[in-house]
Amino acid sequence: MKTCLIVDDSRMIRRVAGRIVKDMGFETIEAANGQEALDACLVEMPHAILLDWNMPVMDGFSFLKTLRAEKDGDKPIVLFCTSERDIDKIIEALSAGANEYIMKPFDSAIIESKFQLAGLL
Amino acid sequence: MRGALTLKPSYYEALKRLTLELAGVNLGSDHTFLVETRLSGLAEREGYDSLSTMIEELFTSGQTRLAVQIVSALVERDMHFFRDPKSFEHLTETVLPALHEARGGGRIRILSFGCASGQEAYGVAMRVMELADRLPNLKIDIIGVDYPSQALERAKEGRYTHFEVQRGLPVQDLVQHFTRDNEDWVIKPALRHAVEFKEMHLLSSLESLGQFHAVMFRGALPHYSSSAQVRVLRGLANLVQEFGYLILGSDETLNNINYGFDKVYGKSGLYRKREDEIVEPEPDPNVKQPTDRKTFERTVRKKRSISG
Repeated sequence: MKTCLIVDDSRMIRRVAGRIVKDMGFETIEAANGQEALDACLVEMPHAILLDWNMPVMDGFSFLKTLRAEKDGDKPIVLFCTSERDIDKIIEALSAGANEYIMKPFDSAIIESKFQLAGLL
Repeated sequence: MRGALTLKPSYYEALKRLTLELAGVNLGSDHTFLVETRLSGLAEREGYDSLSTMIEELFTSGQTRLAVQIVSALVERDMHFFRDPKSFEHLTETVLPALHEARGGGRIRILSFGCASGQEAYGVAMRVMELADRLPNLKIDIIGVDYPSQALERAKEGRYTHFEVQRGLPVQDLVQHFTRDNEDWVIKPALRHAVEFKEMHLLSSLESLGQFHAVMFRGALPHYSSSAQVRVLRGLANLVQEFGYLILGSDETLNNINYGFDKVYGKSGLYRKREDEIVEPEPDPNVKQPTDRKTFERTVRKKRSISG
């Protein structure tokens, strides 16, 4: 089964996104910030990462740059999932190695569509 | 909105009949919720104090303009960007290269038939821009047609919601082709000017549109009644130039009548027009003549008798 790491400091968002991703056939792992996510990735790289931007300890952007520099860090497909909507932020995320970008609020149709576009479904 | 009521079964049946007569689309037997959802917004925009008031007005006054607005809202398709990617692949990998070669750099005209809020037509324009290196001097006219509706107005403006730009549209295309305007996203002028949108009754004569090298008619065919399918496909067949293409949904086929097209081998839903074939099938006794005001008025009279 494919795995998806859901990284968000909101437990509610992790729960809602987790339910949608599970319904698409993924096993989910949760992390509340970038550092927890990095620790999880160093144990085992997931297939997909749904990544918030603004979080305490380590934000999503710093996590992504660190991840991509790690061995096998290029393997997970990373989808930012954030309230940031400025074009400049989106370009910054893509430059750091994000594969897709989801703007909150989201629904299951958006998550499914973005997973398809990223080649995960 | 004040006084929004559950749609009476007699109203639903009357709207179903009206939609079949005007647009050739069968609403089915149990879509009351969908009808209420789609028409409540229209009733509010048009200043009615409830959905029921608007429908009563329709069937007592017989306003053609209101009938077209209602039917347009009912038959509007749920579109999203790059829906059915396989048929877009047919367009970029088969249709456009073949037409580009055959036309020797001449203009290629593409029709998005039943374009709704315009995602298909703009999607074509995006992919055409990407083909500039592979197909030099590619010159394309893209025209989208549909019933007059709020969706078509949004298509003309190129304005989409936060949710619409996140369904089917790769983020790279969002960055390249859109600007943000508060909660909405708006197509940049270069892309917006590449597409022209026109209001048209889809079951009327299509000759005024001129001839096309490719017609996209995807995802709508199954919703039409069998007689309306014949009428629409016959009309579209006469718009496509010889050796031009008809692009249906990748899970759709022409059934009993080929309308002068051959299936393109290995490309589901893609058809190519034969040489010099004018499509004049035997008259089908089930095919109704184009709906006019008299037909609509007959429907209104029927409804009056239902409501007593």
